Amino acid sequence: MNVSEIISHHILDHDFGVMLGNVRLPITAHSVTIFCVSLFLLGALTWIAQAHKNRAGRLLTTLMEEYVSFIRDGVVLPNMGAEGRSMLPYFCTLFLFILSVNLAGMIPNMKTATSNISVTAALALCSGMLILYSGLKYHGLMGFIKGFVPSGTPLWLVPLVFPLEVVSTVIKVCVLAIRLFANMLSGHMVLLCLLIIVFVVGQMHWAAGVGSVLPAMALEIFMTCLELLVAFLQAYVFTLLTAIFAGSVIHTH
Amino acid sequence: MQDLLKPDWGVLALTVLNFALLVFLLAKFAWKPIIGALEKREQQVRTDKEMAEKARLESQQIKQELDDRLAHISQEAAQKMAQAVKMAEAQQAQIIAAAKEQSAAILAQAQEQITAEKNKAFAQVQNQIAQLSMMAASRILAQEVDEKSAARVVEDVLKEVKTK
Repeated sequence: MNVSEIISHHILDHDFGVMLGNVRLPITAHSVTIFCVSLFLLGALTWIAQAHKNRAGRLLTTLMEEYVSFIRDGVVLPNMGAEGRSMLPYFCTLFLFILSVNLAGMIPNMKTATSNISVTAALALCSGMLILYSGLKYHGLMGFIKGFVPSGTPLWLVPLVFPLEVVSTVIKVCVLAIRLFANMLSGHMVLLCLLIIVFVVGQMHWAAGVGSVLPAMALEIFMTCLELLVAFLQAYVFTLLTAIFAGSVIHTH
Repeated sequence: MQDLLKPDWGVLALTVLNFALLVFLLAKFAWKPIIGALEKREQQVRTDKEMAEKARLESQQIKQELDDRLAHISQEAAQKMAQAVKMAEAQQAQIIAAAKEQSAAILAQAQEQITAEKNKAFAQVQNQIAQLSMMAASRILAQEVDEKSAARVVEDVLKEVKTK
């Protein structure tokens, strides 16, 4: 196994090969992680949402209320206005889901599913659907299509501007997926490379390998802390950009 | 490594389904009660704030009214005080005038009494002088009188007068 194969082996999704007749079921390490995270979120948040008499329950409920208020006042309302209020559950779920999946990779035997382009593409697709729904809901089909042409555009420029605006919107959604995927993947790659350094150097001479353990571990700890920060940051960026794009469709120029 | 960018459509579809279901279930069982509780609490805070503001305005209004009333009362008290002082001064002048009048009357009465007493005393003195003159004259007429005896008579009369 060369270094590239080791990295691929650790980062790529593992298909468990579950078949239903001749149809392959997408039961992979990433989809199982996503399913576990979803179950955990569903159970935990449903429990927190109930009225509690004990102090810990009340504390968690208050914490969740603060979280909802942060998403509403910091992400949804400034970018989407009052129209975004009805979509608040989507954004609350989106941020927590991405964050939980990002952090799941820190748990042994679990994977960071957001380092899979299919997972981030699925999330971007959901956000794209939300953006489309927002445009259709507040402007209707014709209004939504007209929204792609900025007001004041000369008529002769419309055939040029319209496709550009449509492609721009599609690219924005695609970039959502690529940004999250690239950030989470690169972090994991760096972590793996730092670990592999020890073995690569150790192959040259065992003493060099032992000597590289401490610096590699120090860098590993530093990168893990950075990964934690990136996990929060990317969840926030994805949620914020979805709100901004949906807001730009609702409040067209 | 090329597999990294190769999408797995099955995982994609499953993730979309999983996420959509999660959004739906969480919206129903978690976010709805949490957002409801949050909005209820915010509404409560807003109501409390409005009530506090209302109470503040009311208290300010009451304070203004009390200040106005206090100012009015002070003004009224000053007016009444001035009125009382004026009345007291009038009464004082009246009392002084009455006292002066009374004293003048008493004085006049006293003067009248003195005059009467004086006149009476004069009359008495005149009577006594007359009586004494009559007595002296009768004594003089009753005996022959030389200068020495006349002088003695006069001395006797004077002694008599002094004893009386």
